[in-house]
Formats: sequence, structure tokens, C-alpha cells
Amino acid sequence: MRLTRRDRLFLFAPLAVLLTGWLGLPALLGLFATFSTYSPFATSIHFAGLSNYLSVIEDRQFGAAVRNITIFTVVAVPLELAIGFGVAYLLRRPIRGRGLLRLLLLLPWLVSPIANGVMWHFLLVGAHSILDFAGGWLAQSSIVSPIGDARLALPTIIAVEIWREAPFVAFLLLPGLLAVPAELWEHATLDGASWIEQVFTVALPSLRPLLLAITMLLVGLSLGTFDSVLILTGGGPGSASVTPALYSYNQAFVINNWPAGAASAWLIALAVLGVGLFYINLAKRSVTR
Amino acid sequence: MSSRRALRRRDAVVRILLLFGALVGFLLPLLWTALASFGLLPDNAARPPSLKGPITLDHFLEIGVAEPTFWQELITSTGAAACATVVAIVCSFLAAFGLARSRFAGKPLLTEGFLVLASLPAMAYVIPLSDLMRRAHLADTFIGVVLTEAAVMAPLAVYVLHGALRQLSAEWEEAAVLDGAGLFRVLSEVVLPLSAPSVAATAIVLFVLAWNLLLVPLVLTSGEIKTVPVAMMDFFTFERELDWPTAAAALVVSLVPVAILGGIFHRVLERFTLDVGHTA
Repeated sequence: MRLTRRDRLFLFAPLAVLLTGWLGLPALLGLFATFSTYSPFATSIHFAGLSNYLSVIEDRQFGAAVRNITIFTVVAVPLELAIGFGVAYLLRRPIRGRGLLRLLLLLPWLVSPIANGVMWHFLLVGAHSILDFAGGWLAQSSIVSPIGDARLALPTIIAVEIWREAPFVAFLLLPGLLAVPAELWEHATLDGASWIEQVFTVALPSLRPLLLAITMLLVGLSLGTFDSVLILTGGGPGSASVTPALYSYNQAFVINNWPAGAASAWLIALAVLGVGLFYINLAKRSVTR
Repeated sequence: MSSRRALRRRDAVVRILLLFGALVGFLLPLLWTALASFGLLPDNAARPPSLKGPITLDHFLEIGVAEPTFWQELITSTGAAACATVVAIVCSFLAAFGLARSRFAGKPLLTEGFLVLASLPAMAYVIPLSDLMRRAHLADTFIGVVLTEAAVMAPLAVYVLHGALRQLSAEWEEAAVLDGAGLFRVLSEVVLPLSAPSVAATAIVLFVLAWNLLLVPLVLTSGEIKTVPVAMMDFFTFERELDWPTAAAALVVSLVPVAILGGIFHRVLERFTLDVGHTA
């Protein structure tokens, strides 16, 4: 239907108010504040130029956070995509109880990140850990918890994150896989294509736009990793598993260094928006094709 | 021909084995937690280790002892997530329809922009937001939490609902307009009924997202309004070191509402698609 100006106002105003008031305005005011000495507790405010950003970038803790989150994203996102795709592919053809299977395989994603952290803490540490249980069967005396080890803390966090997100990827990919026209699969089968060839010639090309969108969501999600780290390791040992979001949170709300918290949070936003521009560019290219 | 059949049978067996493996991998940690909440704990000192313990519901009662306000928090969480979902869905549904029925130059850019916005971590803007909300006297209020959670989720909802509404044929709407229906009637009597499954599926996903949010309620409140994730973090980071069975019981309780929702509506949930705009 043709929309009049009044119609448009009615349709767009609620969202505009919500997003401006609770997202756009705070984000922009926050951006301005990072160029000053502003903090809610400050008595006087003056212009600070880039000094907040410089002090964050020079902070070793933040350097460690950037390093960790880079490794985290580069490892977690492809594995989440691969495992999620694998599960969706297994569920592609009808099987008895597929509806129930789909639901059961979505359960890890229903656990909140914070509950996930609490759960894995107890699974990995302490007298009742699943690690010691398994170790006992293999006749190992006692297994040192990986989250107290500087080299294993980050891999553990990554593994726990993959465990929670891969099911969500499968949930998002399955409808896409089911929407692939049946002829495409039939042609491939008649041509004698192996399942690997079918994945690369039929499934992945059809899913390309969807995979791009999911990748965007996953990258944003992993760049903002906060909850599970907070509980599992608190960023430790030392700064072995600290993330930029945890760093911002600690600066702003724990040690009350508001300017550093706000500035580092904007650096996260900048990274996500950068990836976003890249994504929009790729998405646009698949239109023109 | 028979070799092909054998091959196919082998494929089916491999598929079932892999599915079983995935099921074990994804559900074992949850099963372990569920068993602990009923008092079945591993005895790791025994050789070989075994699970033992009297099966009991006591640990569920202990939640209320460890965190006296837990049940209150469960209600707050449910209420906040439900209200935030409704607000986000209403705003997003209207805007997504407007977007689907408008044509302008930057539209693909704007649509994809909503996905980028949906990917933006809340951490990126929550620090100034907490300050702003305090100044607006919305900190530590139910409505403050609800509106913020709605704003966090709205971009994803717009993106998903736009994908769904874009596919609706405009014919029905045109017919209704010829009958003299205004925008409101077109929306409520034509568009909403036709898109109800997608809207419901989106609402369920948003509810799960809202239910699980930690950062937003954490920084917008200081104890007056407490959601389950915030309570769980408090339990854990402050002096009160929890017993595993009690923590496990709390975890199970916090998973139950969303699991039930998923269970009841799993047919609807299957309609949730990130229908990606740039395929068309």
C-alpha cells in the first residue's frame, strides 16, 4: 500500500524514539565525553583531546585484552560456523524425532552466558568436577583445572563459548539449508557428487548471504565477550583471558576510572562498526551479482 | 546398484552416530548439572569414580536460603523480559512494515545497518547510558530496564521482521485498502495475521535474549530491581561461595522458563529465519 506521511510517522516514530533515546543518544554523548575529563563524579570538566584514548592504548592490560579478543574471534567464529553448519547438515534430511532433536540441540544457547560461566566453573573446578571424574576413569589422580592455568584459560573460555553459540548457528542455518531447492541436491546426487562436493557446490553457495549475516552477528558477539569471562576467570590468571569489554567494565564500574572505561568501550564500537562496513560492502556485492 | 544401497546405508549409520555424538557433547554438561541439582554427585575419590547421593529436592529449597529474594528475582526477570519483548516487537514490527513498503536509495544500506547495529555489543554504549538513566531518574526502575533491553534487541527484530514482511504479497493489503481500510486496520487485520508465525518466532528468540541479558540490568540497577543473571553474578563474585548442588539447582530453575517456552513453541520457533535481504 502507498504510505502517506502520517502513516510513515506512525510506523517509524516508536522505533526512532527507542533507538535514539536508549542507544544513539547515549552512544554519541559518550563519544563526546571521551574527549574530555567527564565522569559522573567529576566536579570540573575540561577538554582532554585524545588523552583518554592514548592512556587506554598504552595500558598493558588493554593490550592483552586486544590480543586475547583477536585470538578469541579468529578461533571461535570459524569453529562456531563449522560446527553449527555440521549439526544443521546432519539435521537436513528428515529423521524420526527431528523436532525434538532440534530443540535439544538448541538447549546450550538457552543457558544464559552468566549461567554458562557458573556451570563450567563447577564442571572444571573443585571436588565435583567432571574433569576429575573422567580422570579417575583413566586412572589419573587429579587433573589441574585449566582455568587457573595462564596458557589454558583463554582456550577454555573459547571452548565454552563455542559450546554455547554453535547450537544457535545450527538453529539459524537449518531453515536456510531446508530452503535450498531439492533439484540442486538431486542434480548433485545424480552427478555422483560426494557429500563433501555437495557441501561445497550446493550448500555453501546457496547459504552465502545467510552465512555472511551470521558471521557478522558472531563477530560482534565475540568482540563484546564479557559475561562468561567475568565468572569463569575474571580475566585471569594475570591478564591471560581479559577481554576489552571486561576491561571497560572494570575501568568504569569497578575502579571508577570512567574516562578510560568509556574510551575503551568506544574502541570496541569502532571495531564492530569497522567490521560492519566490511560486511555491508560484501552484502552489497552479492546483490549486484 | 546394491553397492550404492550399501553406501547409502553406511551414510545413514554415520549420520546417526554423528548426531548422537553431537547430542552427547552438547547435552552432557547440562545433564551433569541437572543430576547435581537432584543430589546425584560424583564421588571422585572412589576408584573408579561413581555418581552417588540420595536423590532429593532439598537443593531447590536451598536456593531460597542462599538467596532469599531468588523467587522474587525470577518474577522480575520474567516480567522484564516479557515487557521488553513486547515493546521491541511492537516498535520493530511497525518500522519493519514501513521499511518493507518503502522504496528509497539507501534502503539496502539501512537494512544491513540494522544487522550491524544488532551486532554492536551493549558494552559499547552502556557506560554513558547508565549515567544518562541515572540523571533521568530511570536508573533502578523497572521501566528503565525494560526500555533499555527493548532498545538492545530492536535492531535484530527489525532486521528479521523486515525479511518476513518483505515476502508478503501486497495484494491482500491493496484489497483491504480498496475496501476503505486505513493503515491501522490493514496492519491488524491483514499484515499481522499473515505474518503471525514469524512475529511469534521472533518474539520467543527476543524473550530468550532478554532473559539472558546481564550487562544492561547490572549497570542500570543497584539492587532494587534484580534479574536472575544479576543475582547469579552476585552469588558468585561476592563473599557467598555457593555449593555446587545449590548452584546447579539455581541453574536448572533459570533454564526452565525458556526451555518450556521453547518446548511449547518449537514448531513456531522453526519459522525463525534470518531471511537475508540482499539475496533479492
